Amino acid sequence: MSLPFQEPVPEAARLSPRLLLIDPIRVLPSLLVPLAGVLVAGGFSPRSFIWAALGVAGSVLYAVVRWATFSYTITGGRLELSRAFIGRSTRVIPLERIRGVDVTTPFLHRLLGLAVLKLDTGAGGDKQEGELDGITVEEAERLRGVLLSRHHAAAPELQERPAAPRDHVFLKVPRAWLRYGPLSGAYLFTPFALVAGAVGLAFQWGGELGLDEDDAVAAGEWLWGHPLLLIGVAVVLVVLMPFLGAAMYAFFNWNFVLFGRGDHLVAERGLINRRVVSLERRRIRGYEIAESPLERRARVARLWAVVTGLGDSQTRGQLLPVAPRAAVGDIAAEAVGPFSEALRPHPPAARRRRLFRAIAPWVAVALVMYALGYALIGVAATVLAVAGIALGLDRYRSLGHTYDGTRLSVRSGSLRRAQAVVERRAVVGWTIEQSWFQRRAGLVTVIAGVGAGSGGYKAIDAGETQAAAFAAEVTPDWMAPFLKR
Amino acid sequence: MRDALRDPANQVSPRARSLWFAEAVIVTVLLVVGLVLLSMWMTGWDFLPQWLLDRTWVAALAIGLVLVPFVLAEPVVRFAVHRWELAADVVYARSGWLSRKWVFVPVSRIQTVDKAQGWLERFFGLATVEIRTASYAGSSTIRGLDYEVAARLAEELSRRAQELRDDAT
Repeated sequence: MSLPFQEPVPEAARLSPRLLLIDPIRVLPSLLVPLAGVLVAGGFSPRSFIWAALGVAGSVLYAVVRWATFSYTITGGRLELSRAFIGRSTRVIPLERIRGVDVTTPFLHRLLGLAVLKLDTGAGGDKQEGELDGITVEEAERLRGVLLSRHHAAAPELQERPAAPRDHVFLKVPRAWLRYGPLSGAYLFTPFALVAGAVGLAFQWGGELGLDEDDAVAAGEWLWGHPLLLIGVAVVLVVLMPFLGAAMYAFFNWNFVLFGRGDHLVAERGLINRRVVSLERRRIRGYEIAESPLERRARVARLWAVVTGLGDSQTRGQLLPVAPRAAVGDIAAEAVGPFSEALRPHPPAARRRRLFRAIAPWVAVALVMYALGYALIGVAATVLAVAGIALGLDRYRSLGHTYDGTRLSVRSGSLRRAQAVVERRAVVGWTIEQSWFQRRAGLVTVIAGVGAGSGGYKAIDAGETQAAAFAAEVTPDWMAPFLKR
Repeated sequence: MRDALRDPANQVSPRARSLWFAEAVIVTVLLVVGLVLLSMWMTGWDFLPQWLLDRTWVAALAIGLVLVPFVLAEPVVRFAVHRWELAADVVYARSGWLSRKWVFVPVSRIQTVDKAQGWLERFFGLATVEIRTASYAGSSTIRGLDYEVAARLAEELSRRAQELRDDAT
């Protein structure tokens, strides 16, 4: 490993002391509240003023302590953030891992010539990766330079490419496929959403039309007094579900086109607002297929790409609307690669566990309700418990995992059966979890940590040796030292 | 998992037992005190049956008694379960008490290494090392380490993480 240039002698730096002004400025208005009381209520309350003053003093003290106990250092190719008061903590971030630096200046910061510097290490999830809140703007610029100076990987991504023409259209979704839309379930609730929206709008505009809360209450009472009308409205809404659902689905997914442009996959859709999402192909690490039971019957499915560094992957990663499985397979193979390995089933103990989990809660509810004398709820819970048998069996049938040499796959779920296929190189670690109940059954949940998509893909209720063997099969170098021979 | 995986090589510091015991005691005491306060307040609840109103302290006592074996067992069990190892540039850590968790984090995928010490940990001379990758499922927290051991481990990990540059994700 060749050493890059050595930085000047590292020295722990603090945030700018100007930061100390921000919190007091922020809480100062609370001192004005008791003063405002003088004007409005005509009586000055010394006690409330003292409380407010104590609050301000406390927040100033807190700000001073936070400022005095925090420091950062760039040394030996890494950034160290440390805080030491009663407890101590140090975060070390290798500069090599820093993918981006984001400098922002919120209003108060700008007044004081300060900035907030946020680090992007490419880690998924919401957890803050590193933040310097309250350094001077000049220091922020200097740090940006230092932190990114050894950054090689970002260069090609930052280059602006000229917009290439559509070079290859993978799929133009036929209009006929729009009829699959309502099967996914999500759009079926459109009528209710529309009614809720209309009520919200009525409240918003009602004020301007001279209506107030009393009118709203009166309208509610009038409706409540005409139960037949209410039931009629409910029936109409239920009947409308598939139609409005289909219309709404068509509105969003009209003329769905998936095409390649340069090294991006681009999905375009929508009737009036054309929504365009481009995914960089070299960041795609796999895909996820989801099906509801209705969709399985109709042999259709939904498809998402698993992409590194893509927030909101459930909407933005969508590669296809609800589409026939054959088309889903083709596009998945095109975007990621072919995958046809059969899933390996999980041990029979997993079936017992799925069944127990699908049935037992409803049995418990039913028993309690019968005991308390709510027979009707008890009957409903009994019905759900019986339905749980089918659900549990299907959940067990869904369970599986496999590896074909370059990609691993896991599947689970019944009402939303989801199968993920992820490249081996995207795996950043493994977690094996075992609850107390799983331990009794000799089962574990093995999670492949992936720095893309949902962050982790689970093989639920695998056998103990099966789980360890799976991890070892995908990443033998990592697991071999820890396996029992 | 006894048949599939071997134990990680290193135990945590024996003082971790004191830490876990202290934490469990603190939580239990807070819970019981809370229940006692609640029972003092409950005397005004006339919708409860009389026999319970006469003995509102029963709940606090019962919960306290139920928790005692857990408080005694947790430090011992945790000390047996919590183990860690750094071998072949992979961190292998086991944790848990009633449940179990095994985590494997290759050093080449580490994004940040945190070394932290809360006030109770400081009292016992212990520290926590938190290793984070781009995924929650590839991130590990090793608690109950001796402060020196934690400092060395964090130092070693951040040094190796720098050497093994691997940006595949």
